[in-house]
Amino acid sequence: MKCRFPDAVQGSDAASIHGRTGGIALSILTISRQLGSFGDEIAEALARKLDWELINRNQLVPRFFADISDSREKHLLNESAKFFLSQTKAGGTYLDVLKESLLDLAGRQSAVLVGFGSQIIFADFRDSLHIRITAPENIRQARIRKQFHVSENEAIQILETADRKHKRFVSAVFGIDLTDSGNYDLTLNTALLSVDECVATILSLQREHSLRLQIEAECEQCDSIDHQAEVSLFKNPSEADFAKILDMYQIDWKYEPKTFPVEWDAEGNVTMAFSPDFYLTKFDTYLELTTMNQKYVTQKNKKMKKMRELYPGTNVKIIYKKDFYSLIDRFSMGSSDS
Amino acid sequence: MAEYKQRRILYSTEALQAKVAEIGRHISRDYAGKELVLVGVLKGSLYFFADLTRAIDIPIGVDFIAIGSIPNTTNQTGIVRITKDLDLDITGKHVLVIEDIIRTGLTTAYLVQNLDARKPASISVCSLLVNPDQQLINVPISYFGYEITNTWLIGYGMDISEKGRNLPYIAEIEKINS
Repeated sequence: MKCRFPDAVQGSDAASIHGRTGGIALSILTISRQLGSFGDEIAEALARKLDWELINRNQLVPRFFADISDSREKHLLNESAKFFLSQTKAGGTYLDVLKESLLDLAGRQSAVLVGFGSQIIFADFRDSLHIRITAPENIRQARIRKQFHVSENEAIQILETADRKHKRFVSAVFGIDLTDSGNYDLTLNTALLSVDECVATILSLQREHSLRLQIEAECEQCDSIDHQAEVSLFKNPSEADFAKILDMYQIDWKYEPKTFPVEWDAEGNVTMAFSPDFYLTKFDTYLELTTMNQKYVTQKNKKMKKMRELYPGTNVKIIYKKDFYSLIDRFSMGSSDS
Repeated sequence: MAEYKQRRILYSTEALQAKVAEIGRHISRDYAGKELVLVGVLKGSLYFFADLTRAIDIPIGVDFIAIGSIPNTTNQTGIVRITKDLDLDITGKHVLVIEDIIRTGLTTAYLVQNLDARKPASISVCSLLVNPDQQLINVPISYFGYEITNTWLIGYGMDISEKGRNLPYIAEIEKINS
Protein backbone atom coordinates (compact mmCIF):
# COMPACT_ATOMS: atom_id res chain seq x y z
CA MET A 1 0.00 0.00 0.00
CA LYS A 2 1.66 3.22 -1.10
CA CYS A 3 -0.46 5.71 0.78
CA ARG A 4 -0.43 5.13 4.49
CA PHE A 5 -3.14 7.74 4.95
CA PRO A 6 -5.58 7.12 2.12
CA ASP A 7 -8.65 9.32 1.56
CA ALA A 8 -10.27 8.06 4.72
CA VAL A 9 -8.01 6.32 7.18
CA GLN A 10 -9.68 3.15 8.33
CA GLY A 11 -9.13 2.66 12.02
CA SER A 12 -9.18 -1.10 11.69
CA ASP A 13 -6.26 -0.74 9.31
CA ALA A 14 -4.45 1.60 11.65
CA ALA A 15 -1.59 -0.87 12.02
CA SER A 16 -0.83 -0.35 8.35
CA ILE A 17 0.54 3.10 9.07
CA HIS A 18 3.11 1.45 11.26
CA GLY A 19 4.32 -0.83 8.49
CA ARG A 20 2.50 -4.07 9.14
CA THR A 21 0.99 -4.13 5.71
CA GLY A 22 2.51 -3.33 2.35
CA GLY A 23 6.02 -4.52 1.52
CA ILE A 24 6.59 -6.18 4.86
CA ALA A 25 3.51 -7.94 6.10
CA LEU A 26 4.64 -10.18 8.92
CA SER A 27 6.96 -9.80 11.86
CA ILE A 28 8.54 -11.91 14.55
CA LEU A 29 9.63 -10.70 17.97
CA THR A 30 11.71 -13.10 20.03
CA ILE A 31 12.02 -12.54 23.75
CA SER A 32 14.82 -14.21 25.70
CA ARG A 33 14.45 -13.53 29.39
CA GLN A 34 15.92 -14.31 32.76
CA LEU A 35 13.49 -15.63 35.33
CA GLY A 36 12.44 -12.74 37.53
CA SER A 37 13.18 -10.14 34.87
CA PHE A 38 9.49 -9.56 33.95
CA GLY A 39 10.31 -10.94 30.49
CA ASP A 40 7.16 -13.07 30.39
CA GLU A 41 4.99 -10.13 31.42
CA ILE A 42 6.61 -7.96 28.75
CA ALA A 43 6.08 -10.65 26.09
CA GLU A 44 2.42 -11.04 27.07
CA ALA A 45 1.83 -7.29 26.96
CA LEU A 46 3.53 -7.04 23.56
CA ALA A 47 1.43 -9.84 22.11
CA ARG A 48 -1.73 -8.23 23.46
CA LYS A 49 -0.90 -4.76 22.16
CA LEU A 50 0.19 -5.99 18.75
CA ASP A 51 -2.60 -8.57 18.60
CA TRP A 52 0.00 -11.18 17.69
CA GLU A 53 0.10 -14.79 18.89
CA LEU A 54 2.32 -15.55 21.89
CA ILE A 55 4.24 -18.82 21.65
CA ASN A 56 6.35 -20.12 24.53
CA ARG A 57 8.23 -23.32 25.38
CA ASN A 58 5.17 -25.04 26.88
CA GLN A 59 3.32 -24.87 23.57
CA LEU A 60 6.02 -26.44 21.41
CA VAL A 61 5.23 -30.11 22.01
CA PRO A 62 1.42 -30.01 21.73
CA ARG A 63 1.59 -27.62 18.81
CA PHE A 64 4.42 -28.90 16.64
CA PHE A 65 5.16 -32.46 17.74
CA ALA A 66 1.74 -33.89 18.66
CA ASP A 67 1.43 -35.87 15.43
CA ILE A 68 4.99 -37.15 15.16
CA SER A 69 5.78 -38.26 18.71
CA ASP A 70 4.49 -40.81 21.21
CA SER A 71 4.07 -40.09 24.90
CA ARG A 72 7.68 -41.06 25.75
CA GLU A 73 9.06 -38.80 23.04
CA LYS A 74 6.79 -35.96 24.14
CA HIS A 75 8.09 -36.36 27.68
CA LEU A 76 11.69 -36.29 26.46
CA LEU A 77 11.03 -33.22 24.32
CA ASN A 78 9.68 -31.47 27.39
CA GLU A 79 12.53 -32.53 29.64
CA SER A 80 15.66 -32.97 27.54
CA ALA A 81 17.26 -30.34 25.36
CA LYS A 82 19.45 -32.88 23.62
CA PHE A 83 16.44 -34.92 22.53
CA PHE A 84 15.66 -32.14 20.03
CA LEU A 85 18.70 -33.37 18.10
CA SER A 86 17.33 -36.94 17.86
CA GLN A 87 15.93 -38.27 14.62
CA THR A 88 12.18 -38.38 14.13
CA LYS A 89 10.55 -41.45 12.59
CA ALA A 90 10.01 -39.50 9.38
CA GLY A 91 13.69 -38.51 9.19
CA GLY A 92 15.34 -35.23 10.19
CA THR A 93 15.67 -34.10 13.76
CA TYR A 94 13.03 -32.67 16.06
CA LEU A 95 14.97 -29.43 15.80
CA ASP A 96 14.53 -29.51 12.02
CA VAL A 97 10.80 -30.02 12.51
CA LEU A 98 10.69 -27.13 14.98
CA LYS A 99 12.58 -24.79 12.64
CA GLU A 100 10.43 -25.73 9.66
CA SER A 101 7.21 -25.35 11.62
CA LEU A 102 8.19 -21.96 13.03
CA LEU A 103 9.39 -20.59 9.71
CA ASP A 104 6.18 -21.84 8.12
CA LEU A 105 4.19 -20.10 10.86
CA ALA A 106 6.19 -16.92 10.37
CA GLY A 107 5.22 -16.96 6.71
CA ARG A 108 1.56 -16.89 7.67
CA GLN A 109 1.32 -14.72 10.77
CA SER A 110 3.16 -12.44 13.13
CA ALA A 111 4.11 -13.77 16.54
CA VAL A 112 5.91 -13.08 19.80
CA LEU A 113 8.15 -16.07 20.61
CA VAL A 114 9.39 -16.50 24.17
CA GLY A 115 12.49 -18.56 24.90
CA PHE A 116 13.50 -21.94 23.38
CA GLY A 117 16.29 -20.36 21.34
CA SER A 118 13.86 -18.70 18.95
CA GLN A 119 16.35 -15.86 18.53
CA ILE A 120 18.74 -18.35 16.94
CA ILE A 121 16.09 -19.92 14.68
CA PHE A 122 15.09 -16.46 13.44
CA ALA A 123 18.57 -14.93 13.49
CA ASP A 124 18.52 -14.41 9.71
CA PHE A 125 14.78 -13.79 9.35
CA ARG A 126 14.31 -10.42 7.67
CA ASP A 127 11.52 -8.86 9.71
CA SER A 128 12.46 -10.07 13.15
CA LEU A 129 13.75 -8.39 16.27
CA HIS A 130 15.49 -10.20 19.09
CA ILE A 131 15.10 -8.84 22.59
CA ARG A 132 16.84 -9.93 25.80
CA ILE A 133 15.26 -9.00 29.13
CA THR A 134 17.49 -9.09 32.20
CA ALA A 135 17.61 -7.76 35.75
CA PRO A 136 20.29 -7.72 38.47
CA GLU A 137 20.51 -10.82 40.65
CA ASN A 138 19.30 -9.17 43.87
CA ILE A 139 16.24 -7.70 42.17
CA ARG A 140 15.34 -11.02 40.55
CA GLN A 141 15.68 -12.72 43.93
CA ALA A 142 13.35 -10.20 45.55
CA ARG A 143 10.78 -10.66 42.79
CA ILE A 144 10.94 -14.46 43.05
CA ARG A 145 10.56 -14.32 46.84
CA LYS A 146 7.50 -12.14 46.46
CA GLN A 147 6.00 -14.16 43.61
CA PHE A 148 6.45 -17.62 45.08
CA HIS A 149 6.51 -16.74 48.82
CA VAL A 150 9.88 -18.44 49.30
CA SER A 151 12.95 -17.76 51.39
CA GLU A 152 16.05 -16.00 50.07
CA ASN A 153 17.92 -19.30 49.74
CA GLU A 154 15.01 -20.90 47.91
CA ALA A 155 14.83 -17.91 45.55
CA ILE A 156 18.57 -18.22 44.84
CA GLN A 157 18.07 -21.92 44.14
CA ILE A 158 15.11 -21.31 41.80
CA LEU A 159 17.05 -18.72 39.83
CA GLU A 160 20.17 -20.85 39.57
CA THR A 161 18.15 -23.79 38.25
CA ALA A 162 16.24 -21.66 35.75
CA ASP A 163 19.36 -19.90 34.46
CA ARG A 164 21.19 -23.21 34.12
CA LYS A 165 18.28 -24.83 32.23
CA HIS A 166 17.85 -21.89 29.88
CA LYS A 167 21.55 -21.78 29.13
CA ARG A 168 21.83 -25.55 28.71
CA PHE A 169 18.88 -25.71 26.30
CA VAL A 170 20.29 -23.10 23.92
CA SER A 171 23.82 -24.45 24.24
CA ALA A 172 22.81 -28.11 23.71
CA VAL A 173 20.39 -27.48 20.84
CA PHE A 174 22.09 -24.64 19.00
CA GLY A 175 25.65 -24.62 20.35
CA ILE A 176 25.23 -20.94 21.23
CA ASP A 177 25.86 -19.01 24.44
CA LEU A 178 22.47 -17.62 25.50
CA THR A 179 24.07 -14.64 27.22
CA ASP A 180 26.09 -13.50 24.18
CA SER A 181 24.86 -9.97 23.48
CA GLY A 182 25.54 -10.51 19.79
CA ASN A 183 22.39 -12.63 19.61
CA TYR A 184 20.13 -9.66 20.41
CA ASP A 185 19.11 -6.40 18.80
CA LEU A 186 18.17 -4.90 22.14
CA THR A 187 18.80 -5.82 25.77
CA LEU A 188 16.67 -4.23 28.48
CA ASN A 189 17.48 -4.24 32.17
CA THR A 190 14.27 -4.04 34.20
CA ALA A 191 15.99 -2.92 37.41
CA LEU A 192 14.63 0.57 36.88
CA LEU A 193 12.37 0.08 33.87
CA SER A 194 8.71 -0.86 34.25
CA VAL A 195 6.95 -3.42 32.06
CA ASP A 196 5.11 -0.54 30.33
CA GLU A 197 8.35 1.32 29.61
CA CYS A 198 9.94 -1.80 28.14
CA VAL A 199 6.86 -2.54 26.03
CA ALA A 200 6.76 1.03 24.71
CA THR A 201 10.47 0.87 23.83
CA ILE A 202 10.13 -2.44 22.00
CA LEU A 203 6.99 -1.30 20.15
CA SER A 204 8.71 1.87 19.03
CA LEU A 205 11.71 -0.11 17.78
CA GLN A 206 9.41 -2.61 16.05
CA ARG A 207 7.56 0.18 14.23
CA GLU A 208 10.78 1.85 13.09
CA HIS A 209 12.30 -1.47 12.05
CA SER A 210 9.23 -2.50 10.03
CA LEU A 211 9.16 0.88 8.36
CA ARG A 212 12.85 0.65 7.47
CA LEU A 213 12.27 -2.78 5.93
CA GLN A 214 9.23 -1.51 4.09
CA ILE A 215 11.24 1.32 2.51
CA GLU A 216 14.00 -1.17 1.72
CA ALA A 217 11.47 -3.45 0.00
CA GLU A 218 9.98 -0.52 -1.94
CA CYS A 219 13.48 0.40 -3.11
CA GLU A 220 14.01 -3.14 -4.39
CA GLN A 221 10.66 -3.10 -6.19
CA CYS A 222 11.13 0.20 -8.01
CA ASP A 223 14.92 0.22 -8.46
CA SER A 224 15.44 3.22 -6.22
CA ILE A 225 18.42 3.30 -3.87
CA ASP A 226 18.07 2.73 -0.11
CA HIS A 227 20.17 5.10 2.05
CA GLN A 228 18.75 4.19 5.42
CA ALA A 229 21.81 2.35 6.64
CA GLU A 230 23.92 5.47 6.13
CA VAL A 231 24.49 8.12 8.75
CA SER A 232 22.46 11.13 7.67
CA LEU A 233 23.59 14.65 8.35
CA PHE A 234 21.76 17.76 7.22
CA LYS A 235 23.50 19.47 4.33
CA ASN A 236 22.41 22.96 5.31
CA PRO A 237 20.78 24.84 8.21
CA SER A 238 17.45 25.13 6.33
CA GLU A 239 17.01 21.38 6.50
CA ALA A 240 17.70 21.39 10.23
CA ASP A 241 15.14 24.20 10.69
CA PHE A 242 12.55 22.31 8.68
CA ALA A 243 13.17 19.16 10.74
CA LYS A 244 12.46 21.23 13.86
CA ILE A 245 9.10 22.28 12.43
CA LEU A 246 8.18 18.65 11.69
CA ASP A 247 9.27 17.69 15.21
CA MET A 248 7.12 20.47 16.60
CA TYR A 249 4.09 18.76 15.03
CA GLN A 250 5.36 15.32 16.01
CA ILE A 251 5.32 14.27 12.37
CA ASP A 252 7.66 11.32 11.84
CA TRP A 253 10.27 11.89 9.15
CA LYS A 254 13.31 10.28 7.66
CA TYR A 255 16.12 12.25 6.08
CA GLU A 256 16.99 11.28 2.51
CA PRO A 257 16.04 7.62 2.88
CA LYS A 258 15.94 6.95 -0.87
CA THR A 259 17.46 8.00 -4.15
CA PHE A 260 15.30 7.72 -7.25
CA PRO A 261 17.29 7.32 -10.49
CA VAL A 262 15.53 9.43 -13.15
CA GLU A 263 17.86 9.30 -16.16
CA TRP A 264 20.20 6.64 -17.57
CA ASP A 265 22.74 6.53 -20.37
CA ALA A 266 22.68 4.01 -23.21
CA GLU A 267 24.57 1.48 -21.09
CA GLY A 268 22.08 1.75 -18.26
CA ASN A 269 24.28 3.83 -15.96
CA VAL A 270 22.38 6.35 -13.84
CA THR A 271 23.11 9.85 -15.08
CA MET A 272 20.55 11.76 -13.03
CA ALA A 273 18.95 10.93 -9.69
CA PHE A 274 16.70 12.62 -7.18
CA SER A 275 17.07 12.23 -3.39
CA PRO A 276 14.21 14.14 -1.71
CA ASP A 277 15.32 15.64 1.60
CA PHE A 278 12.52 14.36 3.80
CA TYR A 279 10.17 11.40 3.79
CA LEU A 280 7.09 11.75 6.02
CA THR A 281 6.59 8.15 6.96
CA LYS A 282 2.98 8.19 8.09
CA PHE A 283 1.81 10.31 5.18
CA ASP A 284 3.92 8.67 2.47
CA THR A 285 5.11 12.05 1.24
CA TYR A 286 8.55 13.13 0.04
CA LEU A 287 9.56 16.76 0.50
CA GLU A 288 12.42 18.60 -1.13
CA LEU A 289 13.56 22.00 0.15
CA THR A 290 14.84 24.58 -2.28
CA THR A 291 16.39 27.52 -0.56
CA MET A 292 19.09 28.11 -3.12
CA ASN A 293 19.22 30.08 -6.37
CA GLN A 294 16.89 29.70 -9.35
CA LYS A 295 19.34 27.64 -11.42
CA TYR A 296 19.06 24.72 -9.02
CA VAL A 297 15.31 25.15 -8.61
CA THR A 298 14.84 24.61 -12.34
CA GLN A 299 16.94 21.45 -12.15
CA LYS A 300 14.98 20.17 -9.17
CA ASN A 301 11.69 20.85 -10.92
CA LYS A 302 12.92 18.81 -13.86
CA LYS A 303 13.97 15.94 -11.60
CA MET A 304 10.65 16.01 -9.76
CA LYS A 305 8.73 15.93 -13.05
CA LYS A 306 10.74 12.91 -14.21
CA MET A 307 10.33 11.22 -10.86
CA ARG A 308 6.55 11.60 -11.04
CA GLU A 309 6.56 10.07 -14.52
CA LEU A 310 8.87 7.17 -13.63
CA TYR A 311 7.50 6.41 -10.17
CA PRO A 312 3.75 6.98 -10.47
CA GLY A 313 1.89 7.13 -7.19
CA THR A 314 4.89 8.57 -5.36
CA ASN A 315 3.91 11.76 -3.54
CA VAL A 316 6.64 14.35 -3.83
CA LYS A 317 6.49 18.08 -3.22
CA ILE A 318 9.04 20.85 -3.53
CA ILE A 319 9.05 23.54 -0.87
CA TYR A 320 10.18 26.72 -2.56
CA LYS A 321 12.33 29.37 -0.93
CA LYS A 322 9.47 31.82 -0.43
CA ASP A 323 7.19 29.21 1.18
CA PHE A 324 10.00 27.91 3.36
CA TYR A 325 10.81 31.35 4.76
CA SER A 326 7.13 32.04 5.22
CA LEU A 327 6.96 28.90 7.38
CA ILE A 328 10.02 29.93 9.35
CA ASP A 329 8.57 33.40 9.88
CA ARG A 330 5.31 31.98 11.12
CA PHE A 331 6.97 29.77 13.69
CA SER A 332 9.17 32.55 14.93
CA MET A 333 5.89 34.39 15.65
CA GLY A 334 4.81 31.42 17.76
CA SER A 335 1.75 30.68 15.66
CA SER A 336 0.52 27.10 15.36
CA ASP A 337 -2.48 27.79 13.15
CA SER A 338 -2.28 26.15 9.75
CA MET B 1 -0.90 44.23 16.93
CA ALA B 2 -1.57 43.57 13.26
CA GLU B 3 -3.82 46.03 11.43
CA TYR B 4 -5.48 45.29 8.15
CA LYS B 5 -7.82 46.60 5.54
CA GLN B 6 -10.29 44.63 3.51
CA ARG B 7 -9.53 44.33 -0.17
CA ARG B 8 -12.68 42.53 -1.23
CA ILE B 9 -15.27 40.04 -0.10
CA LEU B 10 -14.13 36.68 -1.44
CA TYR B 11 -17.10 34.58 -0.36
CA SER B 12 -20.39 36.22 0.56
CA THR B 13 -22.71 35.00 3.31
CA GLU B 14 -25.05 33.58 0.68
CA ALA B 15 -22.26 31.78 -1.18
CA LEU B 16 -20.98 30.29 2.07
CA GLN B 17 -24.41 29.09 3.11
CA ALA B 18 -24.96 27.42 -0.28
CA LYS B 19 -21.54 25.78 -0.16
CA VAL B 20 -22.05 24.55 3.41
CA ALA B 21 -25.45 23.11 2.49
CA GLU B 22 -23.86 21.27 -0.43
CA ILE B 23 -21.11 19.78 1.75
CA GLY B 24 -23.72 18.86 4.37
CA ARG B 25 -25.71 16.94 1.75
CA HIS B 26 -22.64 14.99 0.68
CA ILE B 27 -21.72 14.12 4.25
CA SER B 28 -25.32 13.07 5.05
CA ARG B 29 -25.30 10.78 2.02
CA ASP B 30 -21.82 9.30 2.59
CA TYR B 31 -22.26 8.59 6.29
CA ALA B 32 -25.88 7.41 6.29
CA GLY B 33 -26.26 4.50 8.71
CA LYS B 34 -22.82 5.10 10.25
CA GLU B 35 -21.95 6.43 13.67
CA LEU B 36 -20.36 9.77 12.83
CA VAL B 37 -18.61 12.24 15.12
CA LEU B 38 -17.76 15.70 13.80
CA VAL B 39 -14.73 17.21 15.49
CA GLY B 40 -14.44 20.99 15.16
CA VAL B 41 -10.96 22.45 15.40
CA LEU B 42 -11.15 25.56 17.54
CA LYS B 43 -11.38 28.42 17.09
CA GLY B 44 -11.28 28.88 13.33
CA SER B 45 -13.88 26.30 12.41
CA LEU B 46 -16.47 27.68 14.87
CA TYR B 47 -18.99 29.17 12.43
CA PHE B 48 -18.36 26.65 9.64
CA PHE B 49 -18.87 23.86 12.18
CA ALA B 50 -22.08 25.38 13.53
CA ASP B 51 -23.57 25.81 10.06
CA LEU B 52 -22.30 22.49 8.71
CA THR B 53 -23.65 20.39 11.57
CA ARG B 54 -27.08 21.95 10.99
CA ALA B 55 -26.83 21.17 7.27
CA ILE B 56 -26.36 17.47 8.01
CA ASP B 57 -29.60 15.52 8.33
CA ILE B 58 -28.31 12.26 9.84
CA PRO B 59 -27.65 11.67 13.56
CA ILE B 60 -24.16 12.87 14.51
CA GLY B 61 -22.03 13.42 17.58
CA VAL B 62 -20.30 16.80 17.90
CA ASP B 63 -17.13 17.62 19.76
CA PHE B 64 -14.30 20.14 19.71
CA ILE B 65 -10.56 20.01 19.89
CA ALA B 66 -8.02 22.81 20.19
CA ILE B 67 -4.27 22.78 19.82
CA GLY B 68 -1.60 25.25 20.77
CA SER B 69 2.13 25.65 20.76
CA ILE B 70 4.00 25.21 24.01
CA PRO B 71 7.46 26.80 24.13
CA ASN B 72 10.28 24.36 24.68
CA THR B 73 13.48 25.59 26.29
CA THR B 74 15.56 23.11 24.32
CA ASN B 75 13.97 23.81 20.97
CA GLN B 76 13.34 27.18 19.32
CA THR B 77 10.06 26.10 17.81
CA GLY B 78 8.46 24.52 20.88
CA ILE B 79 6.00 21.70 20.56
CA VAL B 80 2.37 21.42 19.49
CA ARG B 81 0.00 20.06 22.09
CA ILE B 82 -3.74 19.55 22.45
CA THR B 83 -5.06 22.30 24.71
CA LYS B 84 -8.70 21.19 24.63
CA ASP B 85 -9.24 17.48 24.09
CA LEU B 86 -12.33 15.60 22.98
CA ASP B 87 -14.99 14.74 25.52
CA LEU B 88 -16.41 11.92 23.39
CA ASP B 89 -14.84 8.51 22.95
CA ILE B 90 -14.25 8.07 19.20
CA THR B 91 -13.11 4.42 19.31
CA GLY B 92 -14.90 2.47 16.59
CA LYS B 93 -16.71 5.57 15.32
CA HIS B 94 -16.32 7.43 12.03
CA VAL B 95 -14.60 10.76 12.62
CA LEU B 96 -14.73 13.84 10.42
CA VAL B 97 -12.32 16.59 11.41
CA ILE B 98 -13.73 20.00 10.54
CA GLU B 99 -11.21 22.72 9.67
CA ASP B 100 -11.75 26.29 8.49
CA ILE B 101 -8.65 26.29 6.32
CA ILE B 102 -5.80 23.96 5.41
CA ARG B 103 -2.64 25.58 4.16
CA THR B 104 0.48 23.50 4.88
CA GLY B 105 -1.52 20.67 6.45
CA LEU B 106 0.87 20.44 9.41
CA THR B 107 -1.82 21.10 12.02
CA THR B 108 -4.24 18.72 10.35
CA ALA B 109 -1.56 16.04 10.06
CA TYR B 110 -0.85 16.36 13.77
CA LEU B 111 -4.56 16.01 14.58
CA VAL B 112 -5.14 13.09 12.23
CA GLN B 113 -2.16 11.24 13.72
CA ASN B 114 -3.34 11.94 17.23
CA LEU B 115 -6.97 10.97 16.64
CA ASP B 116 -6.03 7.90 14.60
CA ALA B 117 -4.21 6.53 17.65
CA ARG B 118 -7.61 6.34 19.39
CA LYS B 119 -8.72 3.68 16.90
CA PRO B 120 -11.73 5.26 15.18
CA ALA B 121 -13.50 3.26 12.46
CA SER B 122 -12.28 5.88 9.97
CA ILE B 123 -10.93 9.40 9.99
CA SER B 124 -11.37 12.02 7.28
CA VAL B 125 -11.05 15.75 6.99
CA CYS B 126 -13.50 18.41 5.83
CA SER B 127 -12.12 21.89 5.31
CA LEU B 128 -13.97 24.92 4.06
CA LEU B 129 -10.84 26.24 2.38
CA VAL B 130 -7.70 24.53 1.10
CA ASN B 131 -4.59 25.88 -0.53
CA PRO B 132 -3.17 23.08 -2.69
CA ASP B 133 -0.07 25.11 -3.56
CA GLN B 134 0.95 25.46 0.07
CA GLN B 135 -0.08 21.99 1.17
CA LEU B 136 2.94 19.94 2.19
CA ILE B 137 1.28 16.90 3.64
CA ASN B 138 -1.06 14.44 2.03
CA VAL B 139 -3.80 14.59 4.67
CA PRO B 140 -7.06 12.70 3.96
CA ILE B 141 -9.27 15.61 2.82
CA SER B 142 -12.63 14.14 1.78
CA TYR B 143 -14.63 17.37 1.55
CA PHE B 144 -13.66 20.97 0.90
CA GLY B 145 -15.49 24.11 -0.07
CA TYR B 146 -13.07 26.27 -2.03
CA GLU B 147 -9.50 26.18 -3.24
CA ILE B 148 -7.66 29.37 -2.37
CA THR B 149 -4.34 30.96 -3.17
CA ASN B 150 -1.74 32.35 -0.79
CA THR B 151 -3.65 35.36 0.51
CA TRP B 152 -4.57 36.71 3.92
CA LEU B 153 -8.20 36.00 4.79
CA ILE B 154 -10.55 37.06 7.51
CA GLY B 155 -14.09 36.31 8.64
CA TYR B 156 -16.36 33.30 9.18
CA GLY B 157 -14.07 32.12 12.00
CA MET B 158 -10.73 33.30 10.62
CA ASP B 159 -9.02 36.16 12.40
CA ILE B 160 -6.11 38.50 12.43
CA SER B 161 -5.03 38.83 16.06
CA GLU B 162 -8.56 37.84 17.15
CA LYS B 163 -10.17 40.52 14.98
CA GLY B 164 -12.69 39.78 12.29
CA ARG B 165 -13.68 36.27 13.31
CA ASN B 166 -17.36 37.15 13.55
CA LEU B 167 -17.72 38.62 10.07
CA PRO B 168 -20.47 36.65 8.28
CA TYR B 169 -18.42 36.48 5.05
CA ILE B 170 -14.81 35.76 4.08
CA ALA B 171 -12.77 38.70 2.93
CA GLU B 172 -9.33 39.06 1.45
CA ILE B 173 -7.27 41.51 3.42
CA GLU B 174 -4.07 43.44 3.25
CA LYS B 175 -1.94 43.69 6.36
CA ILE B 176 -0.88 47.26 6.91
CA ASN B 177 0.94 46.90 10.22
CA SER B 178 2.26 43.87 12.04
